[in-house]
Amino acid sequence: MTNLIAKYRATAGRLLLVVLTGYAVLNLLWQGVRSYPDLPGTDPVTIHETRIAQLRTVLPASGAVGYVTTVENDRIFAEEKTFTNVEFLAQYALTQYTLAPRIVRNSPEFPLVVGNFIDGPPAPGFLEKNGLVPLKDFGDGLVLYRREQKP
Amino acid sequence: MILFFVASLLLSLTSGILLTFLFCPSLKSGAAGLAFRLFAGGGLGIGVTSCLYFVCLLTGLSCYSPAIDLGVCLLLGIPCFIFFRRPAAGGSQPLPETGKRSHFPILLAGIFSVELVASLGSFVFAFLKEPHGRWDAWLIWNMHARFLFRGGEHWRDAFASGLDWSHWDYPLLLPLSIARGWQYMGGEGLSIPAVMAFVFTFMTLGLLWCALSLLRSRIQGCLAAMVLMGTPFFIAMGASQFADVPLAFFILATLVLLSLQARSPENQPGELILAGLAAGLCAWTKNEGLLFLLIVTGSLFCTAVYARGWRSALNRTAGFLAGALPILLIVIYFKTQLSPANDLMAGFDPAAVAAKLTDFSRYAKIANAFFITGISFTHGLIDVRVGMHLNPGAVNILLLIGYLFLAGVRIDGRDRIGLLRSAAALGLMLIGYFFVYVLTPLDLGYHLVTSLNRLLLQLWPSVIFLCFMIAGSPETSPGDRPGTAPAQPETRSTRANEPRKTRGPK
Repeated sequence: MTNLIAKYRATAGRLLLVVLTGYAVLNLLWQGVRSYPDLPGTDPVTIHETRIAQLRTVLPASGAVGYVTTVENDRIFAEEKTFTNVEFLAQYALTQYTLAPRIVRNSPEFPLVVGNFIDGPPAPGFLEKNGLVPLKDFGDGLVLYRREQKP
Repeated sequence: MILFFVASLLLSLTSGILLTFLFCPSLKSGAAGLAFRLFAGGGLGIGVTSCLYFVCLLTGLSCYSPAIDLGVCLLLGIPCFIFFRRPAAGGSQPLPETGKRSHFPILLAGIFSVELVASLGSFVFAFLKEPHGRWDAWLIWNMHARFLFRGGEHWRDAFASGLDWSHWDYPLLLPLSIARGWQYMGGEGLSIPAVMAFVFTFMTLGLLWCALSLLRSRIQGCLAAMVLMGTPFFIAMGASQFADVPLAFFILATLVLLSLQARSPENQPGELILAGLAAGLCAWTKNEGLLFLLIVTGSLFCTAVYARGWRSALNRTAGFLAGALPILLIVIYFKTQLSPANDLMAGFDPAAVAAKLTDFSRYAKIANAFFITGISFTHGLIDVRVGMHLNPGAVNILLLIGYLFLAGVRIDGRDRIGLLRSAAALGLMLIGYFFVYVLTPLDLGYHLVTSLNRLLLQLWPSVIFLCFMIAGSPETSPGDRPGTAPAQPETRSTRANEPRKTRGPK
């Protein structure tokens, strides 16, 4: 009798596993199938990479370049830490991801500076304050700057 | 171009498979044994060839990497060929019938196949959605691979670049494996990181299945793999191209190899050496792996002292460390010569540490996060802005507890010490993670919400393995069948040093 109960309990355990894992696996697949038609033709990382890749032709093959964006440089990481806005860090990291092995520094204080303004222009006077002069505008908020030495 | 990548992957897998033939010659149990060589050996091979590629980079021989890999394969293949040229005495024997035939295994195999296909589909959909992987993939792992590959002779520069946010102190197994694939191809391919992610995800599943098929029964192996497939977070993290799933693989491989060692004839050291290699590769995959290597070495030593005495414990630990040593040397070189300081260790201040250790509100906050995340992490990816909330989903730790309650607990005497060792290692890892959070210099809430679910996932396949090793099962343990090696219970009462006749290769 004890063996019979143990056998039924074991069977119940297996059924429980089969049913719940089956549900979880098929549910995950269903979520994938359901979201597939809504996927953009190109994923956001590839779109960003294609934009930034235009810079490769004009930048030296190695060395460091600066980086500026819609917000001041010190806010890029601060906003991510508080989850206020993770987009600025994502845009900066993707710029580095695309331009590797060049080093993209989170600072305007370099002879060549990448401007990534996909989320809008910087605050008025920011570019002038840092002596940034446009070298080439690639469109879609991507500009390469040359930094002029302050007198 | 893709053929060259396939060649790189095949060389990696072959190296590892040959290692299993060299170090686990007595492992013979039909399909499950071969699958074990493929899954465990394959993963080890990927790790070993990433180390070889690192040495090639250091010595400026990266362009000769394919020839060196081929040479290593041949070097491992020759002794294998000599050892295994003659079939073992008696040859392979058919598995015995174990009582009345049941339709359940066939039904389960069918359901398992459906779940496997569905999981493959889910992985593909996740890849199509984010072919570059998720945040950490392009912020850390794939970015490092690009620097290593694109940097040419100046690949070292990245480590001194000051780009601390990309965590250049993280070990290089995954980036090197990707860069090695690109090196073979002669160019970058978007699919290579995804293929590596795919390989590790499904090798973890395969390893779990075949390890339990070898040590318990095929039904237990299938059920365990189904639990892992039913963990949406595991599939999502696999497709995200993070290093957490490769680390989970190597942690599982270490514990499985240690369990197999307890069942091997005369407790041969081969499995121990491979377990050490796997633990070393944990340290070469992520920084958490260093903690695991330390803990598993300590657990092995303590349990061996308890079961067999000091001398045997020292021998076993030496065998284990002999396997880990080559990888450990590479990790030490990397950490001392290339890697910048870790963000959690930088600016270490004893006063701040003491203050955190005595701040009990931190303990409460972390314990709460461990409880909620421990129950909910399997459910899937979370929005870090919302954080983890109680949402168990269908498959979680409670399901395993429920299964154990229904199926009962039955521990094979030969596995007792091995299970104690594995449970101790996993428990100590959790405690280690807990204290990393207690001492973290980062904002505690930020650190917990961005990492705890991944840390728990690293241990999840091993927890499932442990659960199904102790679950009651009406099937006969394959270790009892003819065709698998006879084993000694790992207790002090056995005469460990007495030679016994075995069916291993001549």
